[in-house]
Order: sequence, then C-alpha cells, then structure tokens
Amino acid sequence: MKKTHYFFTIALALFQLQATAQQRVFKDTLDGSSETVVVTANRSERKMGNVAVPVILIGKKTITQTGSLRIQDILQEQTGIVIVNSALGTSLNGYPNPFGQGVQMLGLDPAYTAILLDGEPLVGRNAGILKLGRLATGNIKQVEIVKGPSSSLYGSEAMAGVINILIDMPAKENIGFQLHHATNNTWGGTLSYANRIHKTGIQFFVNRLSTDGYDLDPNIYGKTVDPYRDWNGQLKITQELSNKLQLLVSLRNYDAKQDNNYQIYYQNLPAIASGYTTETDKSAFAQIKWFLSSNSKLYFRGFYDRYTNQSFVNLDKTGLRFDETSFDQSVFKPEIQFEKNRPGKSQYVAGFGSNIEMIDASRYAGKQNLATVYGFTQKEWYLLSQQLTLIAGARVDKRTDFDLHLSPRLAMAFKPNAHWKFTASAGWGFKAPDFRHMYLNFYNAQIGYSLLGTATLGQELGKLQQQGLLQAGADISPYTNATGLKPETSFGMHVGAKYTSGRLVAEWGLFRNNISNLIDVYALPFKRSNGLPIYSYHNVGNVFTQGAEMDLSYQLTKHVRLSGGYQFLLAKDKQVLENIDKGLLYKRDPLTLQSSLVNRQDYFGLANRSKHSFNAKVLYETATGFDAYFRAVYRGQFGFMDQNGNNIIDNASEMTEGYWMLNLAASKSIGHFLRVQIGAENLLDYTNPVQLSNIPGRTYFINLNLNINQPTKHKLP
Amino acid sequence: MKNSLSLLTIAAFALVFTACQKNDAPPVAVPAYSSTQTLTVNFSSTKPFAFFGFKDSALVVNSDSTTAKWDFGLRLTTFLVNSNASGPGKAGVIMQDGIFASLNTAPTSGYAYDTTSTKLAIKDGSWYDYNPQSHAFIPKAGKVFFFRTADGAHYAKMQLLAVDYAPFTGPAPSQLLYKFQYAYQPSGSNNF
Repeated sequence: MKKTHYFFTIALALFQLQATAQQRVFKDTLDGSSETVVVTANRSERKMGNVAVPVILIGKKTITQTGSLRIQDILQEQTGIVIVNSALGTSLNGYPNPFGQGVQMLGLDPAYTAILLDGEPLVGRNAGILKLGRLATGNIKQVEIVKGPSSSLYGSEAMAGVINILIDMPAKENIGFQLHHATNNTWGGTLSYANRIHKTGIQFFVNRLSTDGYDLDPNIYGKTVDPYRDWNGQLKITQELSNKLQLLVSLRNYDAKQDNNYQIYYQNLPAIASGYTTETDKSAFAQIKWFLSSNSKLYFRGFYDRYTNQSFVNLDKTGLRFDETSFDQSVFKPEIQFEKNRPGKSQYVAGFGSNIEMIDASRYAGKQNLATVYGFTQKEWYLLSQQLTLIAGARVDKRTDFDLHLSPRLAMAFKPNAHWKFTASAGWGFKAPDFRHMYLNFYNAQIGYSLLGTATLGQELGKLQQQGLLQAGADISPYTNATGLKPETSFGMHVGAKYTSGRLVAEWGLFRNNISNLIDVYALPFKRSNGLPIYSYHNVGNVFTQGAEMDLSYQLTKHVRLSGGYQFLLAKDKQVLENIDKGLLYKRDPLTLQSSLVNRQDYFGLANRSKHSFNAKVLYETATGFDAYFRAVYRGQFGFMDQNGNNIIDNASEMTEGYWMLNLAASKSIGHFLRVQIGAENLLDYTNPVQLSNIPGRTYFINLNLNINQPTKHKLP
Repeated sequence: MKNSLSLLTIAAFALVFTACQKNDAPPVAVPAYSSTQTLTVNFSSTKPFAFFGFKDSALVVNSDSTTAKWDFGLRLTTFLVNSNASGPGKAGVIMQDGIFASLNTAPTSGYAYDTTSTKLAIKDGSWYDYNPQSHAFIPKAGKVFFFRTADGAHYAKMQLLAVDYAPFTGPAPSQLLYKFQYAYQPSGSNNF
C-alpha cells in the first residue's frame, strides 16, 4: 500500500514536471538553467545542468517572443545552425525549388540531422531534406537540439545531431486562439484546447496558414514561391490506466496545397503550365509508460508516419498533362525502452525496436521496402560526489541490405564548482544510403540526362540498351552486378566549457567531425544515345568539418538581456587537400582564362558553408506584460558553385556574399486574456533571387493571442 | 655590376645550349604559330561535327570530313581525332596536366587514336565537369591536349579556355561555343 502510494507520487511528480517544464520561463537558448528538463541528449529526462553533450534549448516563451510561424526562422537564430538550400534545389530560371531548405549543423548537410517530433523520426525527405514547414510552431513546447554524432541513441541520420520538436502536453484547462496576419496576404488562425479531467488529459491544436507567396524576379514568369495553404492538426490524449501505467496517444495531420504555375517550352514554344502540389503527413503515436518500481520504468511505443506528395502541371492552352510526380513514404516503428535510475549513482537506458519503411514514388523504380532492427544501451555514472558524470553507450543497427552497424558514444561532464562545467564527448555516427541512392530512376526530360540509384542501375542500363537509348557499344557489364553502397560514417568530438555566474552565462566549444564513405554522384563512362550523361551514386568522399563556437548571455538590467553567439567553421574535402599538396589541382583565371596551380590558401572549403556566422539578441521585458525582442543574424560568405574548372570553391566569383537578417517583434498584454504582437522580419530587405530564393524580403506581421487560462478561481466564461 | 655580369653569362650559356640542341635535334628556329579561336559546335547528334585543322588554323568544311585536312572534330562534348574510325588521317592526342605556357615539348610517342566509334581517343567527360544546376560544361583547368596532326608529321598543343552556350531562344540551347588556345609548330619539331 505504501509502495503504491509512492508510485503515485512519482507519476504525479512526473506529470507536474512536464507541466512545469511547459510553463517554465525559458529566458534564452543559453539559459538552460540547470533545473530545466531535456529528454533528447540521453533519450530520457535529465536536468539540463547534468547533460554532457552540447544541447541548445528553445523554449515556448522564446518561440512566442519571436512571433514567427516558421520553425526554420527560429532555428536559424541559434548559434551554429544555418538554414541552407539543397544544393540541387536552387532556383533556376524561375523553375520551382522542389527541395526546400534544411538545417546545416556542424557544417553537415541537412540529410545528416535527424528531425524528431516528440522523439519520433518524421519521414518524407526529398533529396535529403525534410520540409520543416510541415510543422506548425503554435503548439511547440520546446525544441531541443543536440549537436554532434548521436547515432548511439538515434541511429542513421543522427550524424550531425538531432533536432527534437516537443509538442505541448495536456495541461490545466486552457483555450487558446490566435489570429496572424502578415505581408503577402498571409493569414493564420490557430485554435487550441487543453484540459485534464481526473485521470485523462487532452490537448488539441488546429492551425490554418495561407499566403499568396512572393515574386523576387518579375522578369521571370511565375512567382518565386507560389501561393499555398496548410492545415495542421494535433490531438494528444493521456490516460492514467493505473498507478503504474500511463497511456499517451498522439495523432497528427498535415495537409497542404500549393499552386504550381510556371513557363515551360512545349514543342519549342513557350507555354504556361499550371497545376498544384498536395502534401499530406499523417502520424500516430501510442505509448505505454509502465512504472516497474520506484526507480525503473518501461516504455512500449508504436509510431506510424506517412507522407505523400502529389504534384502535376497541365498546359494552360490545351489542358494537356505536362508533368506529374508522386511520392508516398511511410514508416512503422515499434519500440521498447527500459530505464533504471539509481539516484545519485547511475542511470541506465536501453531499448530495441525496428523501422519498417515503405516508399512508392514515380521517380523510383517501383514500390520498395526496407527494414531495420536496432538495439541501444547507455549507462551514466555519477562519481566524485556527483562532480563527474561519465556516459558510455552504443547502438547496433541491422538493415536488410547491409552489415550490422555499431555506433558507440562516450561522454563526460565535470563540475568542479557552481560556476564551471567542462564537457567532452566523442561518438560515431552513420547514415544509411537512403531510398534515393538505391532506387531513384529519374530521367530529366527538359535536359536529357539520367540519374539512377545503385540498386536499379544494372537493370535500368539493360533496359536502356535494349531500347537503343544507350550510346552504341557501351559496356554495361561492370554495372550489372554492382555492389551496393556502404553507409556513410563519421567520428565526431566535442569539448566544451560553460561558466555561469550571476548575470553572466558563457559557453565555449570546439568540435571536429571526420566523415568517410560519403555518397556522391558520378557520371558513368558512357552516355545515353542523346549524348547526355548517366549518373549514379558511389561511396567516395572523405571530408572533415571543424570549428569553434561561443555563446554569451548577460542580464544587463532587470528588464534587458543581451545574448549572442558566434561559430567559426572549416569544412574541407581531404582528397582536394591531398591533390593540392601533390600539385595536381589547377584553377583558371576568370580574366586571362589561363590555368595555374591551386594552393591551400585558395581553397575555401565545401560549398554552402560559411566560415563565420554570428547572432546577437536583445530582449526587453517588463513585469507589466510588455516585451520586445530584437535579433540580428549574420551568415558569412559561402561557396556557391565552381566557375573556374576545378570543381572546388577557390575564387571570389564562386561565392555568395555574407548577409544580415534583422528581426524585431514586440508584444503587449491587454487585460487578462489578450496579447497583441507586432513585428518585422528581414528589416534590411535582403534578397537574393537566384541563390537564396527562400528569403522573401522584408515582411511585417501582427498576432492577436487570446488565452483563456484561469486555473485558480475563475471558471471559464 | 657583378649581377649584370652573371646575367650575361647565363644568357650566353643559354645561347650556346640552344645552339647545341639545334644541331642534333629537329630545328626550332621556326617559331610556333599561336592563336586563340572560337568554334561553334552543334548539340544535336543529328547535326554535323565541327572540324578544325591546325595547319590552316581554320574550321574545315564538313564536305572535307573524309580528308586529312582536319585534326579534331567536336559535337556537344564528343571529341573526334582524325584517325581510324573517325577519318583517314594519322592524328593522335595525348592529354597532360600542367600549365599550357610551360609545357613546351610534345611527346613523340604514346598518342591515342579513335580506334572505334565507341573507343575514342578523348573520353567524353575526361576534360570537363558538367554542372547540373547551371548546365554548364566547365573545362577542367590545367588540361593540355598535345596533338599529332592528321598528316602525322606535325605537332600542336591546345587548351580549352571556355565552353559557353551560344545565345538561344527557345527551350534548349542548340550550339556551344568552344574557345581554345593553341600553338602549332609548322617546322615539324616537337618543341614550341
């Protein structure tokens, strides 16, 4: 009896923990006051102050204070996070940008960061990029960003790190309503409801967002971003089944529709094509949390996510279907996780599960399935009167098409006194070849080249040869039984120090990542009969990324907080460096067109990476319900594409200049329930239509928030 | 004073050295003919190749495609060398990495020929990078082509300076402009 009571207290405490975490004032990403609870770093709840790997935390309050409805806008204000375009997704001659923007972390491309929603991985990446616009910001409780290889807990894709977006949990009774209006005829409406009745909790959220899009280059027919409308719905239910058992069910539905409208050439004449793209993303999650004893618990989880994308354009004049694509990907992921806590001594977490993935897309060779089974284990010891934390963990992944893959991680944190924390971590990451590397079967009808995945290569070449679409005499025999791709692997290290004293929080970090077996596109030695190349993928590259980061936060007065961060980054290809040293790499002078040798100073590094990135923020807050939040984000110059004949970035003509984004938002409470917010984003009106078509120029917005939330005395009206 | 003296010595020595070479090697007294040209090259496999002859430093008309008047031909990114499968000539080619101005001696052997129509001397893709974003064919920097000409008796060296799309209206370009620099040694020497 006594024991049961104890369980109940724990369960309640956990609920309260979640509830308080939700309401906690997250002053800044840096703050992460040692009491804040994070779940991503160790796959179980930990106080921020005890975490041994670098974590950025963005709380609800920060998200609200920026006023932004786009999660990428919020992410890019964090040190070391850069929102980049897909290398292939740059806007060209007004063609739509199909791949969108993703997160570059530690200098690695968006494909190498796992994007989790409440701890579960979303599917539907296009060319490695998961469209972040699928997620609304209005119901985000907290965003946790773990930098550095995290495959020891999360498996493939968590090579650069993990972004875990945590959605509101059922809380005390609350009705929320938001109206959003912004430039480009952008309208948003949100309705949310939360309540806890006895042992049942409910959280409901629905959001609609629509915009007319924008046009950065009026000389090109069609808009840069076409009009779209998104629906986003989320329902979460918690139920205490018994003192020992808690049930969580979470359902999500995203539904988007965007116009397609651009100029093409049909039978050598310009013609207008229009249609639309519909996207859906439905996920369902169920979890049973079972308290085995006061210190141990077991989770049973099932997660299902399905993403579809259907797109077409018709010729306006004749109604003829000009182009059509479809994409349908789903994952089912059952998992069991065990946690044991020996207070003050150690914590243990372990689990196993599987990923069953399916894809069926017009650009892929038929319907494909992949299954992975995995298991992970991690132990955390607290030593030297809890001044020292040691963590050791590993995960094994076995996917049907490649050998068992092991990803270990070691980490430590040392807190000699109340002011200092020193951390060090090292981990192995990996990224399995994805569906596109294996099954893509794409023929670019406009240009005439082919891109084929490795698993379909032999068969497709055979077909092309039979149909006479291959250059005469091409020898396809080396490709008919080609070996598959190996996973890309990485080893990453991070050392950091954090100093907290009164009004000041300062944090420093150094990182290095070595990535091997990078998968890259190559051209086959023969061509299609039209003379244009055939591409496929192979494991080829070895690159490294390394750098330093610094964050500072200072409470200037009771009302004013200053913060800022800087990242220095070098990302280079080892083979290129070797070729430079051997005198094998040449460059062509853009004016004289003569060639000369490249030296190490010329080599800027991998495209799309900025050496310097920087952010500064000023937050002004009063006790009377007024706040103003100003952010300045600088992304330094970065390589765009080769122009001088050596396939590397080594000349000013190949760079995009650095740019600033200045954003400002201010809000004021009116009465008990209403809050009005106005703001402007991209105050300097920076645009770059060709290379950064995702930046819309200066925009203004207004938000009206109505929050009816009186837990104490009032009854709801 | 001392410096200019030593410069003089070096100059004198150089003169003697070249003079010696002249006696036992093919003559170099004739300077190589150097020029920069732009060739308009068809895209489509149904259109003819553009042929170029170093000797006359000119485009060779298509009706002469079966003569030894041309040394190399181009269509889209396919290089022909006037030999075996491609023509009646004895032309051959060697690609070398280096700086055009400093590579002044053509090899006397080791030339590659168009053995068959699918085994050409210059492999497609060996001399450029195709950029799928801009669709540009960017010639690799530091690539020098040594040619033995179609008469089998002369040498030329060549480097590509730029490959651009010819101005076009319509859905797709139909011609490329190849800008290249070359030196042709009319004396028959392999030195430029």
